Amino acid sequence: MTADPPALAVRGLSVAYGDMVAVHDATFTIAPGQACAITGPNGNGKSSILMGIAGLIRRRGGVEIFGAPAPSGDVRWAARHGLTLVPERRQLYPGLSAADNILLGCYGWTRSLRRARTSGPFGTALDLFPELRPHLRQSAGTLSGGQQQMVAIMRGLAAAPKILAVDEPCLGLAEVVARRVYDALAAIHEAGTTLIVVEEAPKRALTICDRRVEVRNGVAIAR
Amino acid sequence: MKFGNLVIAGLVTGSIYAVFAVCVSVWYRVSNILNLAVGDFAMAGALGVDNLYRVKSWPLPAAIAATLVVVAVFAVAYDLVVLRLAQDGPRRQEGIVITFFFTFALSFFIDGVAKILFGTDVHAAPALWNGASLTVLSTLHIERAGLLVLACAVLIGSAFWLYIRYTLGGKAMEACGENPLGARIAGIDTRRYRRLIFVGTAVIAAVFGIVESPITGFTYLSGATISLTGFIAAAYGGFRKPGRALLAGLAIGILEALLGGYVSAEYGDTVLYAILAALVLAWPRAMGFESAVTG
Repeated sequence: MTADPPALAVRGLSVAYGDMVAVHDATFTIAPGQACAITGPNGNGKSSILMGIAGLIRRRGGVEIFGAPAPSGDVRWAARHGLTLVPERRQLYPGLSAADNILLGCYGWTRSLRRARTSGPFGTALDLFPELRPHLRQSAGTLSGGQQQMVAIMRGLAAAPKILAVDEPCLGLAEVVARRVYDALAAIHEAGTTLIVVEEAPKRALTICDRRVEVRNGVAIAR
Repeated sequence: MKFGNLVIAGLVTGSIYAVFAVCVSVWYRVSNILNLAVGDFAMAGALGVDNLYRVKSWPLPAAIAATLVVVAVFAVAYDLVVLRLAQDGPRRQEGIVITFFFTFALSFFIDGVAKILFGTDVHAAPALWNGASLTVLSTLHIERAGLLVLACAVLIGSAFWLYIRYTLGGKAMEACGENPLGARIAGIDTRRYRRLIFVGTAVIAAVFGIVESPITGFTYLSGATISLTGFIAAAYGGFRKPGRALLAGLAIGILEALLGGYVSAEYGDTVLYAILAALVLAWPRAMGFESAVTG
Protein backbone atom coordinates (compact mmCIF):
# COMPACT_ATOMS: atom_id res chain seq x y z
CA MET A 1 0.00 0.00 0.00
CA THR A 2 1.50 3.32 -0.98
CA ALA A 3 -0.52 6.32 0.08
CA ASP A 4 0.36 9.66 -1.50
CA PRO A 5 2.90 11.43 0.68
CA PRO A 6 1.85 14.67 2.36
CA ALA A 7 2.96 17.90 0.69
CA LEU A 8 4.92 18.73 3.81
CA ALA A 9 5.76 16.55 6.80
CA VAL A 10 7.54 18.14 9.74
CA ARG A 11 8.78 15.85 12.50
CA GLY A 12 10.47 17.01 15.70
CA LEU A 13 11.71 20.25 14.16
CA SER A 14 13.82 22.42 16.49
CA VAL A 15 15.56 25.69 15.76
CA ALA A 16 18.07 27.35 18.06
CA TYR A 17 19.99 30.62 17.84
CA GLY A 18 23.07 29.95 19.95
CA ASP A 19 21.73 28.85 23.35
CA MET A 20 18.28 30.29 22.72
CA VAL A 21 15.79 27.68 21.54
CA ALA A 22 13.28 29.38 19.23
CA VAL A 23 11.30 26.32 18.17
CA HIS A 24 10.99 23.14 20.18
CA ASP A 25 10.04 19.81 18.66
CA ALA A 26 7.39 20.93 16.15
CA THR A 27 5.48 18.14 14.39
CA PHE A 28 2.71 18.53 11.80
CA THR A 29 1.80 17.58 8.25
CA ILE A 30 0.11 19.47 5.46
CA ALA A 31 -1.79 17.58 2.76
CA PRO A 32 -1.46 18.51 -0.93
CA GLY A 33 -3.80 21.35 -1.82
CA GLN A 34 -4.33 22.48 1.75
CA ALA A 35 -3.88 26.05 2.93
CA CYS A 36 -2.29 26.17 6.36
CA ALA A 37 -1.84 29.20 8.59
CA ILE A 38 1.05 29.28 11.03
CA THR A 39 -0.06 31.82 13.62
CA GLY A 40 1.05 33.20 16.94
CA PRO A 41 2.38 36.33 18.58
CA ASN A 42 5.57 37.94 17.28
CA GLY A 43 8.80 36.49 18.59
CA ASN A 44 7.23 33.11 19.40
CA GLY A 45 8.98 31.19 16.64
CA LYS A 46 6.56 30.97 13.72
CA SER A 47 8.93 32.52 11.19
CA SER A 48 11.73 30.33 12.54
CA ILE A 49 9.60 27.25 11.80
CA LEU A 50 9.09 28.41 8.23
CA MET A 51 12.77 29.33 7.74
CA GLY A 52 13.80 25.96 9.19
CA ILE A 53 11.46 24.16 6.78
CA ALA A 54 12.65 26.19 3.78
CA GLY A 55 16.31 25.72 4.69
CA LEU A 56 17.13 29.37 5.33
CA ILE A 57 18.45 28.48 8.78
CA ARG A 58 19.85 25.27 10.21
CA ARG A 59 17.45 23.09 12.15
CA ARG A 60 17.19 19.73 13.82
CA GLY A 61 14.48 17.20 13.09
CA GLY A 62 13.03 15.94 9.83
CA VAL A 63 11.31 17.78 7.01
CA GLU A 64 9.90 15.96 3.99
CA ILE A 65 8.59 17.69 0.89
CA PHE A 66 6.29 15.35 -1.06
CA GLY A 67 8.05 12.44 0.60
CA ALA A 68 11.62 13.59 -0.15
CA PRO A 69 13.72 14.28 2.97
CA ALA A 70 15.00 17.88 2.89
CA PRO A 71 18.57 18.56 4.00
CA SER A 72 19.00 21.13 6.75
CA GLY A 73 20.09 24.63 5.77
CA ASP A 74 19.77 24.28 2.00
CA VAL A 75 17.21 26.75 0.67
CA ARG A 76 18.08 25.91 -2.95
CA TRP A 77 17.13 22.27 -2.37
CA ALA A 78 13.69 23.31 -1.16
CA ALA A 79 13.27 25.64 -4.15
CA ARG A 80 14.21 22.86 -6.57
CA HIS A 81 11.77 20.44 -4.92
CA GLY A 82 8.71 22.62 -5.21
CA LEU A 83 8.71 24.66 -2.02
CA THR A 84 9.06 28.34 -2.80
CA LEU A 85 9.43 30.90 -0.05
CA VAL A 86 8.13 34.44 -0.17
CA PRO A 87 10.22 35.66 2.73
CA GLU A 88 9.64 38.31 5.34
CA ARG A 89 10.98 41.67 4.13
CA ARG A 90 10.60 40.28 0.59
CA GLN A 91 14.32 39.97 -0.24
CA LEU A 92 13.99 41.42 -3.75
CA TYR A 93 16.86 42.58 -5.97
CA PRO A 94 16.43 46.36 -5.61
CA GLY A 95 18.62 47.40 -8.56
CA LEU A 96 16.89 45.09 -11.04
CA SER A 97 13.58 45.90 -12.70
CA ALA A 98 10.36 44.47 -11.29
CA ALA A 99 10.05 42.31 -14.43
CA ASP A 100 13.55 40.88 -13.95
CA ASN A 101 12.78 40.17 -10.30
CA ILE A 102 9.74 38.15 -11.35
CA LEU A 103 11.60 36.46 -14.23
CA LEU A 104 14.26 35.22 -11.84
CA GLY A 105 11.57 33.22 -10.10
CA CYS A 106 11.76 30.97 -13.18
CA TYR A 107 15.45 30.27 -12.56
CA GLY A 108 14.58 27.15 -10.54
CA TRP A 109 13.24 25.38 -13.63
CA THR A 110 14.89 26.99 -16.67
CA ARG A 111 18.07 28.80 -17.70
CA SER A 112 16.53 30.19 -20.90
CA LEU A 113 15.33 33.79 -20.78
CA ARG A 114 13.04 33.22 -23.76
CA ARG A 115 11.45 30.14 -22.23
CA ALA A 116 10.97 32.01 -18.95
CA ARG A 117 9.34 35.00 -20.70
CA THR A 118 6.89 32.88 -22.67
CA SER A 119 6.18 30.40 -19.89
CA GLY A 120 2.85 29.70 -18.21
CA PRO A 121 4.08 30.40 -14.66
CA PHE A 122 5.50 33.82 -15.67
CA GLY A 123 2.24 34.69 -17.45
CA THR A 124 0.18 33.56 -14.44
CA ALA A 125 2.40 35.67 -12.18
CA LEU A 126 1.88 38.78 -14.34
CA ASP A 127 -1.88 38.21 -14.43
CA LEU A 128 -2.03 37.94 -10.65
CA PHE A 129 -1.49 41.69 -10.16
CA PRO A 130 -2.40 43.46 -13.43
CA GLU A 131 -2.09 46.83 -11.63
CA LEU A 132 1.68 46.29 -11.55
CA ARG A 133 2.05 46.20 -15.34
CA PRO A 134 2.89 49.93 -15.73
CA HIS A 135 5.70 49.49 -13.17
CA LEU A 136 7.37 46.39 -14.56
CA ARG A 137 10.35 48.31 -15.97
CA GLN A 138 10.87 50.25 -12.75
CA SER A 139 13.69 49.24 -10.36
CA ALA A 140 12.22 47.10 -7.61
CA GLY A 141 13.91 49.27 -4.98
CA THR A 142 11.87 52.30 -6.06
CA LEU A 143 8.47 50.58 -5.78
CA SER A 144 6.14 51.15 -2.83
CA GLY A 145 6.01 48.56 -0.04
CA GLY A 146 2.77 47.10 -1.36
CA GLN A 147 4.10 46.87 -4.92
CA GLN A 148 7.26 45.19 -3.64
CA GLN A 149 5.18 42.62 -1.80
CA MET A 150 3.28 41.96 -5.02
CA VAL A 151 6.56 41.48 -6.90
CA ALA A 152 7.77 39.06 -4.21
CA ILE A 153 4.60 36.96 -4.50
CA MET A 154 4.82 37.10 -8.31
CA ARG A 155 8.45 35.94 -8.18
CA GLY A 156 7.32 33.07 -5.96
CA LEU A 157 4.54 32.15 -8.39
CA ALA A 158 6.87 32.27 -11.40
CA ALA A 159 8.81 29.43 -9.77
CA ALA A 160 5.79 27.21 -10.49
CA PRO A 161 5.70 26.09 -6.85
CA LYS A 162 3.87 23.07 -5.54
CA ILE A 163 3.99 24.67 -2.10
CA LEU A 164 4.07 28.45 -1.70
CA ALA A 165 5.20 29.56 1.75
CA VAL A 166 4.51 33.22 2.50
CA ASP A 167 6.02 34.85 5.58
CA GLU A 168 4.06 37.81 7.03
CA PRO A 169 2.68 38.98 3.66
CA CYS A 170 0.94 42.05 5.09
CA LEU A 171 3.61 43.40 7.42
CA GLY A 172 3.56 47.20 7.17
CA LEU A 173 0.97 47.31 4.37
CA ALA A 174 -2.15 49.49 4.25
CA GLU A 175 -5.41 47.62 4.85
CA VAL A 176 -6.59 47.97 1.26
CA VAL A 177 -3.30 46.56 -0.10
CA ALA A 178 -3.31 43.76 2.49
CA ARG A 179 -6.77 42.75 1.32
CA ARG A 180 -5.56 42.74 -2.29
CA VAL A 181 -2.62 40.53 -1.32
CA TYR A 182 -4.94 38.08 0.45
CA ASP A 183 -7.27 37.95 -2.56
CA ALA A 184 -4.26 36.97 -4.67
CA LEU A 185 -3.17 34.30 -2.17
CA ALA A 186 -6.70 32.89 -2.20
CA ALA A 187 -6.58 32.73 -6.01
CA ILE A 188 -3.24 30.90 -5.90
CA HIS A 189 -4.70 28.37 -3.47
CA GLU A 190 -7.82 27.89 -5.54
CA ALA A 191 -5.63 27.12 -8.55
CA GLY A 192 -4.37 24.07 -6.63
CA THR A 193 -1.15 25.24 -4.98
CA THR A 194 -0.53 24.16 -1.41
CA LEU A 195 -0.23 27.30 0.67
CA ILE A 196 1.49 28.09 3.96
CA VAL A 197 0.92 31.53 5.42
CA VAL A 198 2.75 32.80 8.48
CA GLU A 199 0.65 35.51 10.05
CA GLU A 200 0.47 37.19 13.42
CA ALA A 201 -3.28 37.84 13.13
CA PRO A 202 -5.08 34.50 12.77
CA LYS A 203 -8.35 36.18 11.81
CA ARG A 204 -7.10 37.33 8.43
CA ALA A 205 -5.16 34.14 7.70
CA LEU A 206 -8.16 31.96 8.46
CA THR A 207 -10.23 33.69 5.79
CA ILE A 208 -8.29 31.66 3.23
CA CYS A 209 -6.73 28.81 5.26
CA ASP A 210 -8.47 25.54 6.04
CA ARG A 211 -6.18 24.63 8.90
CA ARG A 212 -3.89 26.19 11.41
CA VAL A 213 -0.72 25.54 13.38
CA GLU A 214 -0.47 27.77 16.41
CA VAL A 215 2.95 28.61 17.83
CA ARG A 216 3.36 29.74 21.44
CA ASN A 217 6.77 30.10 23.07
CA GLY A 218 8.40 27.94 20.43
CA VAL A 219 5.86 25.12 20.79
CA ALA A 220 3.70 24.31 17.78
CA ILE A 221 0.16 23.02 18.28
CA ALA A 222 -1.58 21.71 15.17
CA ARG A 223 -5.31 22.49 15.20
CA MET B 1 48.79 64.46 -36.28
CA LYS B 2 50.31 64.22 -32.84
CA PHE B 3 46.87 64.57 -31.26
CA GLY B 4 45.35 61.72 -33.28
CA ASN B 5 48.24 59.41 -32.52
CA LEU B 6 48.07 60.24 -28.82
CA VAL B 7 44.35 59.50 -28.81
CA ILE B 8 44.96 56.14 -30.51
CA ALA B 9 47.68 55.25 -28.02
CA GLY B 10 45.38 56.41 -25.20
CA LEU B 11 42.52 54.28 -26.56
CA VAL B 12 44.75 51.20 -26.48
CA THR B 13 45.89 51.77 -22.88
CA GLY B 14 42.40 52.92 -21.97
CA SER B 15 40.84 49.76 -23.32
CA ILE B 16 43.13 47.77 -21.04
CA TYR B 17 42.01 49.82 -18.03
CA ALA B 18 38.45 49.54 -19.28
CA VAL B 19 38.53 45.75 -19.44
CA PHE B 20 40.09 45.51 -15.99
CA ALA B 21 37.50 47.96 -14.65
CA VAL B 22 34.74 45.84 -16.19
CA CYS B 23 36.25 42.69 -14.64
CA VAL B 24 36.42 44.39 -11.22
CA SER B 25 32.87 45.74 -11.34
CA VAL B 26 31.23 42.63 -12.79
CA TRP B 27 32.72 40.47 -10.07
CA TYR B 28 31.88 43.05 -7.39
CA ARG B 29 28.30 42.94 -8.63
CA VAL B 30 28.24 39.19 -8.10
CA SER B 31 30.21 38.76 -4.91
CA ASN B 32 30.49 42.17 -3.22
CA ILE B 33 34.26 41.62 -3.17
CA LEU B 34 36.68 43.94 -4.98
CA ASN B 35 39.27 42.01 -6.92
CA LEU B 36 42.54 43.81 -6.28
CA ALA B 37 44.48 40.95 -7.83
CA VAL B 38 43.04 41.25 -11.32
CA GLY B 39 46.19 42.98 -12.67
CA ASP B 40 48.37 40.31 -11.10
CA PHE B 41 46.60 37.67 -13.15
CA ALA B 42 47.52 39.73 -16.24
CA MET B 43 51.13 39.84 -15.13
CA ALA B 44 51.10 36.08 -14.46
CA GLY B 45 49.72 35.52 -17.98
CA ALA B 46 52.36 37.65 -19.68
CA LEU B 47 55.37 36.43 -17.69
CA GLY B 48 54.16 32.82 -17.65
CA VAL B 49 53.92 32.66 -21.44
CA ASP B 50 57.26 34.43 -21.80
CA ASN B 51 58.91 31.99 -19.43
CA LEU B 52 57.52 28.84 -21.06
CA TYR B 53 58.15 30.09 -24.62
CA ARG B 54 61.52 31.84 -24.29
CA VAL B 55 63.20 30.03 -21.38
CA LYS B 56 61.66 26.56 -21.61
CA SER B 57 61.31 26.68 -25.44
CA TRP B 58 57.70 25.48 -25.51
CA PRO B 59 55.70 26.10 -28.70
CA LEU B 60 53.73 29.35 -28.33
CA PRO B 61 50.19 27.86 -28.47
CA ALA B 62 51.14 25.29 -25.81
CA ALA B 63 52.73 27.99 -23.64
CA ILE B 64 49.57 30.14 -23.85
CA ALA B 65 47.22 27.21 -23.19
CA ALA B 66 49.29 25.96 -20.23
CA THR B 67 49.50 29.43 -18.67
CA LEU B 68 45.76 30.00 -18.97
CA VAL B 69 45.02 26.57 -17.48
CA VAL B 70 47.34 27.27 -14.54
CA VAL B 71 45.68 30.66 -13.94
CA ALA B 72 42.21 29.08 -14.09
CA VAL B 73 43.10 26.19 -11.79
CA PHE B 74 44.74 28.55 -9.31
CA ALA B 75 41.68 30.83 -9.33
CA VAL B 76 39.34 27.86 -8.73
CA ALA B 77 41.55 26.68 -5.86
CA TYR B 78 41.67 30.15 -4.32
CA ASP B 79 37.89 30.41 -4.48
CA LEU B 80 37.32 26.93 -3.05
CA VAL B 81 39.83 27.26 -0.24
CA VAL B 82 40.04 30.93 0.75
CA LEU B 83 36.95 32.74 -0.54
CA ARG B 84 34.56 29.94 0.38
CA LEU B 85 35.83 29.90 3.95
CA ALA B 86 35.90 33.70 4.09
CA GLN B 87 32.43 34.31 2.70
CA ASP B 88 30.43 31.12 3.31
CA GLY B 89 32.14 29.40 6.24
CA PRO B 90 30.90 29.27 9.84
CA ARG B 91 33.25 32.15 10.75
CA ARG B 92 32.52 34.21 7.71
CA GLN B 93 33.90 37.71 7.37
CA GLU B 94 31.85 40.76 6.58
CA GLY B 95 32.34 44.38 5.62
CA ILE B 96 35.69 45.78 4.67
CA VAL B 97 37.57 42.61 5.63
CA ILE B 98 35.94 40.50 2.96
CA THR B 99 35.65 43.39 0.48
CA PHE B 100 39.36 44.15 0.33
CA PHE B 101 41.68 42.01 2.38
CA PHE B 102 41.54 38.61 0.76
CA THR B 103 42.20 39.80 -2.78
CA PHE B 104 44.78 42.31 -1.53
CA ALA B 105 46.64 39.44 0.11
CA LEU B 106 46.22 37.41 -3.06
CA SER B 107 47.86 40.22 -5.05
CA PHE B 108 50.95 40.16 -2.80
CA PHE B 109 51.04 36.38 -2.94
CA ILE B 110 50.99 36.25 -6.75
CA ASP B 111 53.66 38.98 -6.94
CA GLY B 112 55.87 37.05 -4.54
CA VAL B 113 55.55 33.79 -6.45
CA ALA B 114 56.16 35.63 -9.75
CA LYS B 115 59.33 37.19 -8.35
CA ILE B 116 60.69 33.75 -7.47
CA LEU B 117 59.63 32.17 -10.78
CA PHE B 118 60.33 34.95 -13.27
CA GLY B 119 62.86 37.25 -11.58
CA THR B 120 62.70 41.04 -11.47
CA ASP B 121 63.54 41.96 -15.09
CA VAL B 122 61.15 43.37 -17.66
CA HIS B 123 59.76 40.64 -19.92
CA ALA B 124 56.95 40.31 -22.42
CA ALA B 125 55.06 37.51 -24.09
CA PRO B 126 56.03 37.26 -27.76
CA ALA B 127 53.97 39.40 -30.14
CA LEU B 128 51.01 37.44 -31.47
CA TRP B 129 50.81 39.51 -34.64
CA ASN B 130 54.23 40.45 -35.97
CA GLY B 131 55.06 43.31 -38.32
CA ALA B 132 55.50 47.07 -38.47
CA SER B 133 52.85 49.35 -37.02
CA LEU B 134 49.88 49.99 -39.29
CA THR B 135 49.28 53.41 -40.84
CA VAL B 136 45.78 54.81 -41.21
CA LEU B 137 44.94 57.99 -43.19
CA SER B 138 48.71 58.31 -43.92
CA THR B 139 49.49 59.99 -40.56
CA LEU B 140 47.88 57.86 -37.83
CA HIS B 141 49.91 54.93 -36.54
CA ILE B 142 48.66 52.00 -34.56
CA GLU B 143 50.70 49.06 -33.38
CA ARG B 144 49.43 45.61 -34.29
CA ALA B 145 49.44 44.54 -30.63
CA GLY B 146 47.36 47.65 -29.88
CA LEU B 147 44.82 46.64 -32.49
CA LEU B 148 44.62 43.17 -30.93
CA VAL B 149 44.07 44.75 -27.50
CA LEU B 150 41.26 46.92 -28.87
CA ALA B 151 39.65 43.95 -30.63
CA CYS B 152 39.81 41.84 -27.46
CA ALA B 153 38.35 44.72 -25.40
CA VAL B 154 35.42 45.13 -27.80
CA LEU B 155 34.84 41.37 -27.86
CA ILE B 156 34.95 40.94 -24.09
CA GLY B 157 32.95 44.11 -23.39
CA SER B 158 30.16 43.07 -25.75
CA ALA B 159 30.16 39.49 -24.47
CA PHE B 160 29.61 40.72 -20.91
CA TRP B 161 26.95 43.17 -22.04
CA LEU B 162 25.04 40.52 -24.01
CA TYR B 163 25.33 38.04 -21.14
CA ILE B 164 23.97 40.44 -18.53
CA ARG B 165 21.25 41.88 -20.72
CA TYR B 166 19.97 38.92 -22.69
CA THR B 167 20.38 35.81 -20.57
CA LEU B 168 18.66 34.60 -17.42
CA GLY B 169 22.08 33.53 -16.14
CA GLY B 170 23.30 37.13 -16.49
CA LYS B 171 20.33 38.42 -14.51
CA ALA B 172 20.87 35.71 -11.91
CA MET B 173 24.49 36.82 -11.67
CA GLU B 174 23.33 40.37 -10.91
CA ALA B 175 20.82 39.08 -8.39
CA CYS B 176 23.66 37.38 -6.47
CA GLY B 177 25.27 40.73 -5.69
CA GLU B 178 21.99 42.60 -5.26
CA ASN B 179 20.71 40.24 -2.61
CA PRO B 180 22.54 36.95 -1.98
CA LEU B 181 19.79 35.65 0.29
CA GLY B 182 17.06 36.56 -2.19
CA ALA B 183 19.08 34.87 -4.94
CA ARG B 184 19.36 31.61 -3.01
CA ILE B 185 15.62 31.66 -2.31
CA ALA B 186 15.07 31.73 -6.09
CA GLY B 187 17.31 28.65 -6.40
CA ILE B 188 20.38 30.55 -7.64
CA ASP B 189 23.74 29.08 -6.66
CA THR B 190 25.50 32.28 -5.52
CA ARG B 191 28.77 30.47 -4.81
CA ARG B 192 28.88 29.00 -8.29
CA TYR B 193 28.45 32.43 -9.87
CA ARG B 194 31.11 33.93 -7.63
CA ARG B 195 33.52 31.20 -8.71
CA LEU B 196 32.52 31.34 -12.37
CA ILE B 197 33.07 35.09 -12.69
CA PHE B 198 36.23 35.08 -10.56
CA VAL B 199 37.82 32.40 -12.72
CA GLY B 200 36.46 33.95 -15.92
CA THR B 201 37.85 37.41 -15.12
CA ALA B 202 41.20 35.93 -14.04
CA VAL B 203 41.53 34.18 -17.39
CA ILE B 204 40.42 37.31 -19.28
CA ALA B 205 43.04 39.32 -17.37
CA ALA B 206 45.70 36.75 -18.23
CA VAL B 207 44.72 36.90 -21.93
CA PHE B 208 45.02 40.67 -21.80
CA GLY B 209 48.42 40.46 -20.18
CA ILE B 210 49.60 38.18 -22.97
CA VAL B 211 48.19 40.36 -25.75
CA GLU B 212 49.29 43.67 -24.23
CA SER B 213 52.75 42.86 -22.84
CA PRO B 214 54.60 43.30 -26.18
CA ILE B 215 53.61 47.00 -26.03
CA THR B 216 54.73 47.88 -22.51
CA GLY B 217 56.63 44.91 -21.09
CA PHE B 218 55.85 43.49 -17.63
CA THR B 219 57.74 42.98 -14.40
CA TYR B 220 56.45 41.00 -11.44
CA LEU B 221 55.17 44.30 -10.00
CA SER B 222 53.28 45.54 -13.09
CA GLY B 223 50.03 43.90 -12.01
CA ALA B 224 49.46 46.21 -9.06
CA THR B 225 49.59 49.35 -11.24
CA ILE B 226 47.06 47.93 -13.71
CA SER B 227 44.81 46.81 -10.86
CA LEU B 228 44.98 50.28 -9.34
CA THR B 229 43.96 52.08 -12.53
CA GLY B 230 41.27 49.50 -13.30
CA PHE B 231 40.07 49.86 -9.72
CA ILE B 232 39.85 53.66 -10.05
CA ALA B 233 37.96 53.35 -13.34
CA ALA B 234 35.59 50.88 -11.69
CA ALA B 235 35.09 53.31 -8.82
CA TYR B 236 33.93 55.95 -11.31
CA GLY B 237 31.18 53.50 -12.20
CA GLY B 238 30.24 53.07 -8.56
CA PHE B 239 31.84 49.57 -8.74
CA ARG B 240 28.51 48.23 -9.93
CA LYS B 241 28.11 49.68 -13.40
CA PRO B 242 30.37 47.90 -15.90
CA GLY B 243 29.28 50.24 -18.72
CA ARG B 244 30.37 53.36 -16.87
CA ALA B 245 33.53 51.64 -15.68
CA LEU B 246 34.37 50.87 -19.30
CA LEU B 247 33.92 54.50 -20.38
CA ALA B 248 35.91 55.72 -17.38
CA GLY B 249 38.75 53.33 -18.26
CA LEU B 250 38.86 54.61 -21.84
CA ALA B 251 38.76 58.26 -20.67
CA ILE B 252 41.59 57.69 -18.19
CA GLY B 253 43.70 56.05 -20.90
CA ILE B 254 43.19 58.92 -23.35
CA LEU B 255 43.76 61.56 -20.66
CA GLU B 256 46.95 59.81 -19.60
CA ALA B 257 48.28 59.75 -23.19
CA LEU B 258 47.38 63.40 -23.81
CA LEU B 259 48.98 64.53 -20.55
CA GLY B 260 52.09 62.51 -21.35
CA GLY B 261 52.26 64.03 -24.85
CA TYR B 262 51.39 67.66 -24.19
CA VAL B 263 52.11 68.35 -20.51
CA SER B 264 54.97 66.23 -19.28
CA ALA B 265 56.10 62.70 -19.97
CA GLU B 266 57.65 62.60 -16.54
CA TYR B 267 54.85 64.03 -14.43
CA GLY B 268 51.92 62.95 -16.64
CA ASP B 269 50.74 60.30 -14.18
CA THR B 270 50.97 62.69 -11.24
CA VAL B 271 48.87 65.28 -13.04
CA LEU B 272 46.44 62.54 -14.10
CA TYR B 273 45.84 61.36 -10.54
CA ALA B 274 45.51 64.98 -9.39
CA ILE B 275 42.79 65.56 -12.00
CA LEU B 276 41.01 62.32 -11.06
CA ALA B 277 41.09 63.25 -7.39
CA ALA B 278 39.84 66.77 -8.13
CA LEU B 279 36.91 65.39 -10.15
CA VAL B 280 35.87 63.19 -7.25
CA LEU B 281 36.13 66.07 -4.80
CA ALA B 282 34.12 68.37 -7.04
CA TRP B 283 31.33 66.00 -8.12
CA PRO B 284 31.32 62.89 -5.90
CA ARG B 285 27.77 61.97 -6.85
CA ALA B 286 28.17 62.42 -10.60
CA MET B 287 31.41 60.47 -10.49
CA GLY B 288 29.63 57.51 -8.94
CA PHE B 289 31.61 57.60 -5.72
CA GLU B 290 28.63 58.09 -3.51
CA SER B 291 27.02 54.88 -4.67
CA ALA B 292 30.41 53.19 -4.39
CA VAL B 293 30.35 53.89 -0.68
CA THR B 294 26.68 53.44 0.08
CA GLY B 295 26.10 50.58 -2.37
